[in-house]
Amino acid sequence: MIDFQKTEEQELLLESLREVYKRGDFEDYFKECDKNHVFPEKAADAMVEAGFAKLGIPEKYGGTDCDFTTLIFVAEEAYALGWPSLCWVNQALQVDDIMAFGSEEQCRTILDLGLKGIKPFTLGFTEPQAGSDSSAMAAKVERRDGKVIINGHKTFNTAANRSPYMLCLAREQKNENPYKDFSMFLLPMNLPGVQIEPLDKIGNWMMQTCEVYMKDCEIKESDLVGVAGQGFYQLMKNFEVERLVACAANVGMARCAYDEAVRYAGVREQFGKTIGTFQLIQEKIVDMKIKIENMQNIVYKAAWKKSTGQSIMIDSSLVKRYTGQAAFQVIDDAMQIMGGIGYTNDCRISRLWRDQRVYRIMAGTEEVMVHTAGRALIKEALKK
Amino acid sequence: MKVIACCKIVPEEQDIIVRADRTLDTGKAVLKLGQYDLPAIEEAVRAAEHTSGRAALLCAGTAVIDNSKLVKAALSRGADELFLVTDEALAAADASQTAAVLAAAVQKIGFDLVICGEGSSDIYAQQVGAQLGERLNVNVFNAVGRIRLSGDSIIIERVLEQEVEVLEVPLPAVVSVTTDINLPRIPQLKDIMAAGKKPVTRWGFGDLGVAVRSPLEIISTLAPESQERKHIIVEGDGDDKIDIFWQQIQKEL
Ligand SMILES: Cc1cc2nc3c(=O)[nH]c(=O)nc-3n(C[C@H](O)[C@H](O)[C@H](O)COP(=O)(O)OP(=O)(O)OC[C@H]3O[C@@H](n4cnc5c(N)ncnc54)[C@H](O)[C@@H]3O)c2cc1C
Repeated sequence: MIDFQKTEEQELLLESLREVYKRGDFEDYFKECDKNHVFPEKAADAMVEAGFAKLGIPEKYGGTDCDFTTLIFVAEEAYALGWPSLCWVNQALQVDDIMAFGSEEQCRTILDLGLKGIKPFTLGFTEPQAGSDSSAMAAKVERRDGKVIINGHKTFNTAANRSPYMLCLAREQKNENPYKDFSMFLLPMNLPGVQIEPLDKIGNWMMQTCEVYMKDCEIKESDLVGVAGQGFYQLMKNFEVERLVACAANVGMARCAYDEAVRYAGVREQFGKTIGTFQLIQEKIVDMKIKIENMQNIVYKAAWKKSTGQSIMIDSSLVKRYTGQAAFQVIDDAMQIMGGIGYTNDCRISRLWRDQRVYRIMAGTEEVMVHTAGRALIKEALKK
Repeated sequence: MKVIACCKIVPEEQDIIVRADRTLDTGKAVLKLGQYDLPAIEEAVRAAEHTSGRAALLCAGTAVIDNSKLVKAALSRGADELFLVTDEALAAADASQTAAVLAAAVQKIGFDLVICGEGSSDIYAQQVGAQLGERLNVNVFNAVGRIRLSGDSIIIERVLEQEVEVLEVPLPAVVSVTTDINLPRIPQLKDIMAAGKKPVTRWGFGDLGVAVRSPLEIISTLAPESQERKHIIVEGDGDDKIDIFWQQIQKEL
């Protein structure tokens, strides 16, 4: 039998999350932060104080051991309550990235930030000419007179203005094969030569995404993370898992929009009855619910596979593609149910609609998910 | 210091269904810790922490309260152990019966200070604390908004209508605390995980040597009849307006 029941501990943890959220009464605050394009510090502090940053960071480093599936439930629930996209306080996976390959000093620095709920680093991956095609990254590292110098132009770096570091991929220029030529560095964002310029985006206003120019940035050899030339493979280690957590945001944001729209359908009256009595509205509600159930099932199953040691190489692409689109459709339908009010910034659904859209683009576009999963599925079929 | 917090397991209000005949259906309601008891638990835990003592929780009710999730929910809020007294007779227990059962349990556990919530989240008669103190024959106070520990006694503050009463109360004592005495902690994952490992003692009436008989007979419990809104709006703050406002209220009383 398949068990869909959360454990009592998971349920109680989610109850605590809801209690913090309720106590904080964050809704108006988020609206204000969104309008002013600032990070919701106060709300994040409350979540950190309530222990949500510690989850998943090993106990011996001051965190609270927590399995990956539970981290997903917590993130989903936070977004379902209305937590702003890209602003969740838990950095356990970033910490884990560094714990896997970093030096002791790097681990200590990143752990410390993670425990405080600060996103330790912006991901320095995308460049103007290297989006879906990471192999085109051109930022380069040079070693001159015992100095390590980085030059390059990264773009779409989320939280570059807030994170103390960039996890920067740069070419060693030693190996023809680009994938074997990247090294990974923890580049301090306050170095001379680093210039940060925020991008003007249509959503996710509480979290900036920036362009970063690095001109003759002098770092230390000790800023290298892991092994020179292995940067790309190191980055891939947690990538599938991180992708799944992003998908938990899709499920959460869709639920948030759904909850509000369904309640509205039950009370908004037109033509002398509630709009929820019209079958065209009911159809939307039913289809939204089906998509939410499907999203949860596909995300939870992938999480379960990962937890039981199975590969989620294909799954993570399927989940990313499906939840990005399904969540967008749910939120779009939610806006439709709200009518005109849904298109105003007074209504939370408008924020979800602007913010969630990017999940179909960032961390691998939905087309690239076809590109990765499609080939793998055919290969898998031929093996049988 | 040995501190005991009494807490009641109650149905979630939002899940209670009012039937057409105004009777209440709690059958589908999930059970939870009474909301007014959370500050009592928090205060007990703080008192125990400050005195390197022990905080125990005491819940009495029917067998449904012996539920593993509820037990973890209760113990995740910081207390060291839990005592559960269950008997089907508690389904319809009134304040007097409840106080008798709690008194027997509290005596068996041993205590310096018993802390109750302001009232139960379901009945909210605000009687159990006072009756419990009386049965134990110790000092008892309600409406306590602050507790300071001071050796063999506690200094309490009670917010009355015009003044704040400050009293030094020798222990042992029973107090009922208001909801603004503290902001109860929200359990973190490590508290929740630890809760499952804390000791739970289960007693029936037989273990306590209590037999309860109620002096009270409940004839019916009904939800208030719902009424149409009157849609009377009085605007302005002149004496004449206030007069109209007052007349309207009087008419309804
Ligand atoms: C808000 C936001 C935050 C971001 N945060 C970060 C970050 O923190 N760090 C970081 O490094 N990057 C970040 N990104 C960048 C993001 O990952 C890229 O935008 C994404 O990978 C796509 O790259 P691109 O924009 O260059 O599009 P392109 O790769 O140029 O793609 C353009 C179009 O072509 C399609 N396409 C490309 N290749 C193929 C193919 N092989 N088959 C079919 N179709 C294809 C794409 O799907 C897309 O529709 C962020 C982006 C945004 C918008």
